[in-house]
Amino acid sequence: MTTTAPTGLGPTAPEGPAEKRAVVEAETRDALARPKRRRRSRWIPNTLAVVFSVIWIFPVYWMVNTAFKPRPEVMTTTPMFVPAHPTIQNFVVAITQSSFLTNLVNSAVVVVGAVVLSIALGLFASAALSRFQFRGRRLILVFVLVVQMLPSTALLIPLFLLFNTAGLLDSYGGLILAYVGSVLPFSIWVMRGFFIAIPLEVEEAAKLDGASTWQVLTKVLFPLVMPGIIATSVFAFIAAWNDYLVAYVFMKDQSHYTLPLWLASFSTPTTGTDFGGQMAASVLFSLPVVVFFMIIQRNLVTGMSAGAVKG
Amino acid sequence: MALSTTPPLTRKGPRPSTTGGRGPGGSGPRGRGPKGRGRRSLAPLWMLSPAGIVILAVTVAPIVYLVFTSFTDYGQRSLYTGAYDSVGLAQYIALVTDPAFWWSLIRTVLFTAAMVGGSILVGTGVSHLLTRLGGPLRTVVTVVLVFAWAMPNVASSEVWKWLFQPGYGVVNWLLTQTHLFGDMTNTSWANSPFLAYLEIWLLIVWQAVPFIALTLYAAETQVPTELKEAARLDGAGEWYVYRVITLTFLKPTLLLVTILSVIWDFNVFNQIWLISQGGPDDATSTLGVYSFTTAFVGFEIGKGAAISVVTTLLLLVITAFYIRNLVRSGEDL
Amino acid sequence: MRYTKIASVGALGLAAVIALSACSSGGTTAAASGGVQTVPTTKGDGKTLTVWVMTGDYTDKTIAAINKEFTAKTGAKVNVQTQQWANITTKISTALATSTPPDVLDLGNTQVASYAANGALLDLTPYKKDLAQGQTWLGGLEQPATIDKKLYALPGFAGARAVIYNKAMWAKAGITAAPTTFDELTADLDKVKAANTASDFSPFYMPGQFWYAGMQFVWDAGGQIATADGTKWSAGFGSAKAQQGLADFKDFQNTYSTAASQTLDTDAPQQEQIFADGKTSAILDNNWGLGLIQKANPNLATDDIGSFPMPGKSGSTQPTMLGGSDWGIAAKSKNTDLALEWAKIAGSPSIQAKWVYGTDGWIPNSTEGIKAADATVDSFQKGFFQAALNSKATPATGDWASLEGDKSINQLFSAVASGSKTPKEAAATFDSAANTALNAAN
Repeated sequence: MTTTAPTGLGPTAPEGPAEKRAVVEAETRDALARPKRRRRSRWIPNTLAVVFSVIWIFPVYWMVNTAFKPRPEVMTTTPMFVPAHPTIQNFVVAITQSSFLTNLVNSAVVVVGAVVLSIALGLFASAALSRFQFRGRRLILVFVLVVQMLPSTALLIPLFLLFNTAGLLDSYGGLILAYVGSVLPFSIWVMRGFFIAIPLEVEEAAKLDGASTWQVLTKVLFPLVMPGIIATSVFAFIAAWNDYLVAYVFMKDQSHYTLPLWLASFSTPTTGTDFGGQMAASVLFSLPVVVFFMIIQRNLVTGMSAGAVKG
Repeated sequence: MALSTTPPLTRKGPRPSTTGGRGPGGSGPRGRGPKGRGRRSLAPLWMLSPAGIVILAVTVAPIVYLVFTSFTDYGQRSLYTGAYDSVGLAQYIALVTDPAFWWSLIRTVLFTAAMVGGSILVGTGVSHLLTRLGGPLRTVVTVVLVFAWAMPNVASSEVWKWLFQPGYGVVNWLLTQTHLFGDMTNTSWANSPFLAYLEIWLLIVWQAVPFIALTLYAAETQVPTELKEAARLDGAGEWYVYRVITLTFLKPTLLLVTILSVIWDFNVFNQIWLISQGGPDDATSTLGVYSFTTAFVGFEIGKGAAISVVTTLLLLVITAFYIRNLVRSGEDL
Repeated sequence: MRYTKIASVGALGLAAVIALSACSSGGTTAAASGGVQTVPTTKGDGKTLTVWVMTGDYTDKTIAAINKEFTAKTGAKVNVQTQQWANITTKISTALATSTPPDVLDLGNTQVASYAANGALLDLTPYKKDLAQGQTWLGGLEQPATIDKKLYALPGFAGARAVIYNKAMWAKAGITAAPTTFDELTADLDKVKAANTASDFSPFYMPGQFWYAGMQFVWDAGGQIATADGTKWSAGFGSAKAQQGLADFKDFQNTYSTAASQTLDTDAPQQEQIFADGKTSAILDNNWGLGLIQKANPNLATDDIGSFPMPGKSGSTQPTMLGGSDWGIAAKSKNTDLALEWAKIAGSPSIQAKWVYGTDGWIPNSTEGIKAADATVDSFQKGFFQAALNSKATPATGDWASLEGDKSINQLFSAVASGSKTPKEAAATFDSAANTALNAAN
């Protein structure tokens, strides 16, 4: 089968050059092709881009806007598009909630654990699946997809009962395992795509230089599958950072709760939904993910698409 | 492209295979059987086993358990007492004879089609738009996309509820200002089937477009410029160039994001649950919601398991073509 | 083939069996003397009892008072975990299934039946007399915790709904005294309506999905959600009386609330916010609604806000859905003796009087408690206490929770209020769903 990598970025050619190439191409095009017509036709895409950006950023803007409003300005029939009296009160309330720090620490522990473990396990497994010939490879591939197709809540009760028997409930280890298990199949699939793309000559050359299997893996191959590693870290990060239900059911003691449970506590029937507080909490909760995405955005796109298409 | 030549190379692996060029079906006996001598043949084993053990323990075992419970009457009482009966196929029979299940299936298929269609259409458009933008504006659009993409869906669902809040929601206000739909100030989106779908659809599309747009954009920048320029010199219109050249090159990526979207949107649960809880009158109760309410509200765990199994099988059927291709390509590798 | 792994019920097994054969009359009369036990006095030094409380129920101060008395008596420590309401049934159901469940749990009185009926809770029947401590528990709290004449949880506190109204607004419309009959109420609301002409103003804001309010009309007309004949439940909205009640609700809702509210629930937008914004002059609410109103609008003085029990067409006050909580003990608890002691203290007359009523403002768990409180209750609380005297509960079966959980009861009233279905059609839809759901176990 001739599957095509959408980006054409061999793992030997990291993202930067491709991006540059695109820019260069665009510039060349600009220079070569009918300068007049191009300038005029830019109006349409530019307008579309502005309209699209305004619509797409609006929910984010409204979340931030609400977060900085004092309560009387939140609940108005005619919405206020800028806070008249900006305040950080909502953030202060959100952060000073007794559980915030505990939950943050728990989330950090679980996220780091899930990311590190997923990468470590995924790397070796995907290397094995792409570089070695053995029985049942195809079965594993199909299995990866089947896992993706299960409804997200389907395994909650079976896993809960198994963890109960194994004594893994109410522990960081158990929660981390649950997250790793949920991202590992897909991660392996993505990383495998990158391993496959590495020309065999690369590792053969290393072998000729006397490198051991271990050295070939860690020194030569792993650096070349960086986009796949980054994609995996994102899956694991998101699985552990965003999950509400598994943490809610598995962690009995509140000192073990993670941040999504803190986020859920802003709306209760007896205190009403405090939209200002809730939006402030949403901002705080989203911030690390947005920053993370900003940093690895380009790698993520190539990681997922290139890896997966090569499947 | 260049990469299509890599499979024969990678096929050899550190333990050179004697059957390099063989096609499908031959992988079984060739395994790590007879010729396995020394550490090399053990390498895949130790590399695979840590991940394998984790996947076995927290994915395979629960799946086996799930399938097992779908043949029992496991319920709330069973949780406390550990007692349940084997009921054979009764859960499945009850399921296929329950109109609620079929309605839920129809809703899920239609809604998935609407969500995937919307996301792919907008995503493809935005991807193409990105190629036509100058540097600064392209950065702006990319940043906007990343914002929408990165928002955790727990947070974005809460933001959505606030945007569409009856009485105080800014979207209600904006729509009222347009004077197109009458006074919508107090419209409760979650309480009307159509509006509830619309609200959820907007949220899903809003969050799905960034991944699709950025992925397709990455692919679109790789379309050889020479081809397009040649076509243009031959007098081809922009639309023709896009349709014939760009889309052809985008096809594999487009197929991939479509399949992934189908798989993800078919099982969308969080957003629907947080916004409408499957209401009003079960109007937004897709299979994901249906299996959750069955297993976690009614605590009919056996029936919930049966729904999950059926859902997965349905998805397998829907994506069978793609998977077959994938497996075939896997054999070539 | 039957797979069973039923754990031993331990030391309590025998007592439970004896209590099973005893026929309690369902009131507060204790089980037959053979099965009566007192809560054993235990020393629990070095042990920790885990108690799950719901946010917004007992205040931290009240819990602290109970813990203090408990620790003084037993020497054991208490680990209090405050739970959020979102997805609470999932949380509790799974926690009770673990090998180390919380020992004592705060269970909503509409949910307690499902745990009790499925074997999640310890049978308290043998200790009933000792736990009651001479009081007569409120029916709305005890009945849902009683399955097949066995008691599975101890009443904790109650809350009833009454009308909260804006006294200043009503005074401006020329009304000085709270209404005591349904006709007076409607006459007053007509006056308020005439005095306030803003298009989004409603004299009495009552969202259509507000099934607790709707049920008050149905109960007042003599209707029932469902009645039990032995173990068979039959839903009752099709009856003539219930139909009358639904029609009364539609009438009242359509006349005095906004058209937009017909399909809404009380939480979005929050009815207390509507009240605080001056867009309505009255709502039906729990007593904690006052706090929410003042949080939304700090300028509304306590003196300007009053309460009265909702008068019914029948001549008496409308029966109100008694909300509240029971204290259940996990069947798998490893500290049942300590748990019993803690629950007994929580339900004791002194804690109820001084803390549950005195500090938290809840309605205490017994009729004696209500009577004792009556002398000191402030004018705002009085409306709620009066309303509680005529109270009802949801059907005492473990299967009720699913009907509440899937919101079919909300849809029933919303459909009637908005006119998308006639009362007859709406009742037929709900009744058939309810007949299936309530008899699921049979």
